[in-house]
Amino acid sequence: MLELALKAIFIENMIFALFLGMCSYLAVSKKVDTSVGMGCAVWFVTTVTCPASWLVSNYFLKPGEQNLIGQLFNKPDLDLTFLTFVSYIALIAAMVQFLEMFIEKISAKLYGSLGVFLPLIAVNCAILGGSLMMNDKGFTFPEAAMFGFSGGFGWLMAIVVFAAIREKMQYSNVPKGMRGLGIAFLTCGLMAMAFMGFMGIKFPEKKAEASENPVAIVEAVEVETVDVKAVEVKATEDSVEVKAAEIKVDAPVQGDK
Amino acid sequence: MKFVEDQIHKVKPLFEKGGKLEKFYYLFEAGESFHLVTDKRTDRGAHVRDSVDLKRMMITVVLAMVPCILFGIYNTGLQHYTALLNDGQIEALPGMVDMIVYGAILVVPVILTVYITGGIVEGIFACIRKHEINEGFLVTGILIAMVVPASIPLWQVSLATIFGVFIGKECFGGTGMNILNPALTARAFLFFNFPSQISGDKVWVGFDRGQEVISTATPMGLAAKGDALPEAYSTMNMFLGTIPGSIGETSTLACIIGGIILLIAGVASWRTMLGMLVGGFLFAWLISLGSTNPNDIAALGAVKHLCMGGFAFGLVFMATDPVSSANTDLGKWIYGFGAGAISMLFRIINPAYPEGVMLAILLMNVFAPLIDHYVVKASIKRRLNRAGV
Repeated sequence: MLELALKAIFIENMIFALFLGMCSYLAVSKKVDTSVGMGCAVWFVTTVTCPASWLVSNYFLKPGEQNLIGQLFNKPDLDLTFLTFVSYIALIAAMVQFLEMFIEKISAKLYGSLGVFLPLIAVNCAILGGSLMMNDKGFTFPEAAMFGFSGGFGWLMAIVVFAAIREKMQYSNVPKGMRGLGIAFLTCGLMAMAFMGFMGIKFPEKKAEASENPVAIVEAVEVETVDVKAVEVKATEDSVEVKAAEIKVDAPVQGDK
Repeated sequence: MKFVEDQIHKVKPLFEKGGKLEKFYYLFEAGESFHLVTDKRTDRGAHVRDSVDLKRMMITVVLAMVPCILFGIYNTGLQHYTALLNDGQIEALPGMVDMIVYGAILVVPVILTVYITGGIVEGIFACIRKHEINEGFLVTGILIAMVVPASIPLWQVSLATIFGVFIGKECFGGTGMNILNPALTARAFLFFNFPSQISGDKVWVGFDRGQEVISTATPMGLAAKGDALPEAYSTMNMFLGTIPGSIGETSTLACIIGGIILLIAGVASWRTMLGMLVGGFLFAWLISLGSTNPNDIAALGAVKHLCMGGFAFGLVFMATDPVSSANTDLGKWIYGFGAGAISMLFRIINPAYPEGVMLAILLMNVFAPLIDHYVVKASIKRRLNRAGV
């Protein structure tokens, strides 16, 4: 769980590794205070939408026993996944609408400085991207919640750091042609380079163990190459028994698979 | 000296306003201030009178680096002949002079390449943007040369220098305005683009430039793979620096001498240095407590980790760069501590990059403005509270 969080914050940072949500990242990062507001808004939305989309996807869209709509119409193989994008966008838009009303109520100043970018969170690709990635990776519910929470936090951290650098750069004598967005893109690229140190960090994974039950019984076929990470090999005269963690067989397919 | 002065004054009108070579005034100016004491005086506004200007400050850093450069040259030769000896190609180690000559043959072209390409980029920018050429480049240049392996192809050195000076510094407005350390930017550029020439086993002992004839693993590379370190890589040797590595980074002792010069001259911040030392020591020690495999990189212990690789060099010369580090006192502590801690973290838990110091310092460069922002904010708040507003 912690590994997932660290991975989402540092190694696969929404901005520096995946380059998602760049438009608001570049536009609302001129001042630290505003960027904190924007970052928190995105953080909140991802935290809520990721688990919510998980629920929608698993209980309404994916085919199977658990699909509520399928149960309603008594059709367990009802596949509604083609509605994924539409339903996610609707969900995100609803969340953003709620957030907008909330911020307007509690801080008119922040509401003013976020301006048009607050409603635009609805189409922020970091949020939709987060939900879709969560979908692809096949997370469980708590994992999806953690992923949304930490992914959003990674985005918040990225924008706040960037805003501090841009505040400092106001005093720099940047060449004319580079001023504004040009130098912002360049800075962002250099920051991504600095963040590359996190890439390649691998968390200790559980080693694959040899399962007692054979995964597949391969009929005698003409095999070209076999690549086996063997754990245990027993050979007798007429059979070879391999307890293996991984077997790759390269063989021409004959008839049925 | 009189002759140089006369010549410079003779050609000066050519470069001044209305002269034929007016466009190249800033190149001339750089040459003039390099040879002579400037006659410029600040003529308006409040200013502090101090004889330590940018030129002196930068020269101090270059002076502080001299032990590293000299030892680097010697060590390049030493590593080369040691590798030949181990390979059976020679019977005994030659004398010190031979080693220095061989080292100089490899190292001096690298330094020259950096200065020539970097100088051209600076010169072009100075002419187009009409600003003076700063002595800061002397430091950046020698830093780039010190953090690459001696066997690196020269075209890569010049490409990295162009990237570091152009993208890392001049695009942000020149000396004093960059956000990342330009030398480290250049090193990172090399590291990610040409990994086979700057990391791995085969680069540290130059035989013929570009031809990988003999290979020797650095202690860092061995430890990262989980192999036991041979006797030649004892803590003492690591401290003295007789191990393979980048040109200037191997000797902790030379770095310490340089660090003392910087501290006495007041150029570098002791807060950053101490913070980084504490951070690195603490983290290496804590992680070594939890390690079970004696050959693991984590189990080497804090002292070895501080002597190994580029930690000392990064601590003395890279992290203390006054432009890209944090500027507030408390901020420097946090910045240094973070750099030390993260470099140990990268080293130990990231198998892809055994040398994490460069990336850790770059990362802290990115975070430095934010640290400053919040330190200043907290200080304002504290003072307002004290004043009872």
